[in-house]
Amino acid sequence: MANLKHPLWQNLFRPQGDRITEVTAMWMDTPLFENISRHKCRELVKNMHPRQYKKDEKIFNSGDIGTSVVLIRQGEVEIRAGEKLLAELRQGDFFGEVALIIDEPRTADAVAAEDAELIFFLRSDLEEWVQRSPRDGAQFMLNMSKVLAARLRHTNILMSLQAN
Amino acid sequence: MLQSFISHPLTRALFLFGLIISIISFLAILLAPLLLPIIISFALYAVLEPLSSMLERQGLSKSASSLTVLLLLVLLAALVMSLLLPHLAAQLSALQKQLPAVWNTLVNFANEFSHYLAHSSGLNLKISAFTQPFIDQADELGKKALIEGSNLLISFTILMILVPIFTFFLIRDFRTIRNQLLDKLPNNSFELGWIIYHRVAHQLQDYIRGIMIQSGIMSIVVTAGFYIIGLESPILLGLVAGILNLIPYVGPLLAMVLPVLLALGHAPLELWMVGAAVGVILAAQLIDNVLVIPSVIAHAVNLHPVIVIIGIIIFGNLFGFIGMVLAIPVISTANIIFKALLQGIKTRQPAYSDS
Repeated sequence: MANLKHPLWQNLFRPQGDRITEVTAMWMDTPLFENISRHKCRELVKNMHPRQYKKDEKIFNSGDIGTSVVLIRQGEVEIRAGEKLLAELRQGDFFGEVALIIDEPRTADAVAAEDAELIFFLRSDLEEWVQRSPRDGAQFMLNMSKVLAARLRHTNILMSLQAN
Repeated sequence: MLQSFISHPLTRALFLFGLIISIISFLAILLAPLLLPIIISFALYAVLEPLSSMLERQGLSKSASSLTVLLLLVLLAALVMSLLLPHLAAQLSALQKQLPAVWNTLVNFANEFSHYLAHSSGLNLKISAFTQPFIDQADELGKKALIEGSNLLISFTILMILVPIFTFFLIRDFRTIRNQLLDKLPNNSFELGWIIYHRVAHQLQDYIRGIMIQSGIMSIVVTAGFYIIGLESPILLGLVAGILNLIPYVGPLLAMVLPVLLALGHAPLELWMVGAAVGVILAAQLIDNVLVIPSVIAHAVNLHPVIVIIGIIIFGNLFGFIGMVLAIPVISTANIIFKALLQGIKTRQPAYSDS
C-alpha cells in the first residue's frame, strides 16, 4: 500500500531503539494493526522473518506460491505486471497481503528497486496467533478486509476511468 | 532433447526430492541408535507443545513452561506406571504360565482334528510332525526372549532417561532452531521452504495426535471387552491391541492373534470364548472405523490404501515393527514434499505451469 507520508518525517517521529521496537512501530503505522495493542504486535514481530535483498533481485514472481505479507524496513520495491509498473513502494509500506488469506499464486512480480531489508509475516504465524488470541485475530481480519476492500475500490475506479 | 529433459519441472523436482531424501536418510543412519528416543520425543512434542504455549501466554518464561510441562509428563508417567505396572506384571506372569497350556490345548485340538479326519475320510495326517517343530521353535524363542528381555530392559532405561531430556529441549528450543535453519534458505526458496515445512508439520502433528487418541480409545474398548467376556489379562491384551493399532490395516489382524490363542488355551476349551474374543476386536474395529477415524484422524493422511499396505510391508521388511508404525507418516511426508517441490518449480517455469 502506497505510503503518503514523507520518509524523513516518518524516521523523525518513529521511536528509536532495537530492531523489534522499530519494526513494531512500522507495523503499528499500517492499517493492518489498527486497534491492536502495541504489546500484541511486538509479540508477533518477534516471530517475523527479516531478509536482505540486493538491487534488482526478485522478491517473488507472479504465479509463485505465496504465504506472507511483506513490510519494507529499508529500501524500495517495485510491483510489476510483466513490463508494466503497478506501484513503487518505500520504507513502511507493505505488500502481498492476499497471501495471508488464500492459498493462491501471487498475481504480480515484486522486485527490489534498491538494496532492501524486508520483514516477512507468515500465514502460519497469523493462524497460530488467531487461535491464541481470537479477539485480536478477529480485529486483524477486520483490518485486512478493510485493506482488501479499499484495494478493490481503487481497482474498480481505475478500471472505470480506463473504460471511459 | 537432453536440455529439455533436464529443465523439465518433473526432473528438477525429482532431483531435489532425491537430494532431500538422501540428506534425511544419511541423518537417520548417523543417528540410528538415537532414532527411537528422537521419534518418541517428537511425538510427545507434538502433543505437549500447545500446553507449553498456553503456559507461556500466562506469563511463564520459555524454560519455565517447558520444565513445567516436562514435570507434568514425568508425574503422569509415574502415576500411570505405579497404577498399571503391578497389574501388567501380574498379567504378564500369568500369561507366561498359561502359554504352555495354550500350546498343549492347540496340540490336543490338532490331534483330535486329525483323528476325526482319519475316522471320517480315512485321511491320515501326522499332526505331531507339523506341531513338534513349532513347539521346538517356541522353546527356542522363549530362551531367546529371556536374553532379549534383559537387553530390552537396558534399552527401556536409556529411553526413559533420553526421552524426557530430548522432549524438554524440543519444547524449549525447537522453534528457534527451526527458524534459524529455514531462514538460511536462499531468498527465492524461502517462502516455498516454509510452505513445505508447515504442510508437513501440520499433517504429522494431526496424524500423531490422532493416532495416539485412536490407540488410547482402542486400548480402553478392547480392555473393557475382554474384561466383560472374562478373558485373562485384559489390560495387557488391551495395551497390545492399542499399540498394534498404530499399524493401519495389518495391526488389527495381528491384534487378534494373542486373544484368540488365549481363548483357545482356556481350559476347558470354550468355543464361545474364541468367538467372543474375535467379536471384541471386530467390535472395537467397528467403533474405530465408524466413530474414531472420521472424527480424529480423517484427512490427516490422504494416501491410497494400496500404497499404505505396500508401504507397511516394505517398511516392515526393512525396519521391523518401528518401520511398520512409521511407514504412513514417512510416505505422506515424502508425498507432500514432492508435490510442493513440483508445484513450486512449475510456477517458476511458466512454459510448464499448466502441464
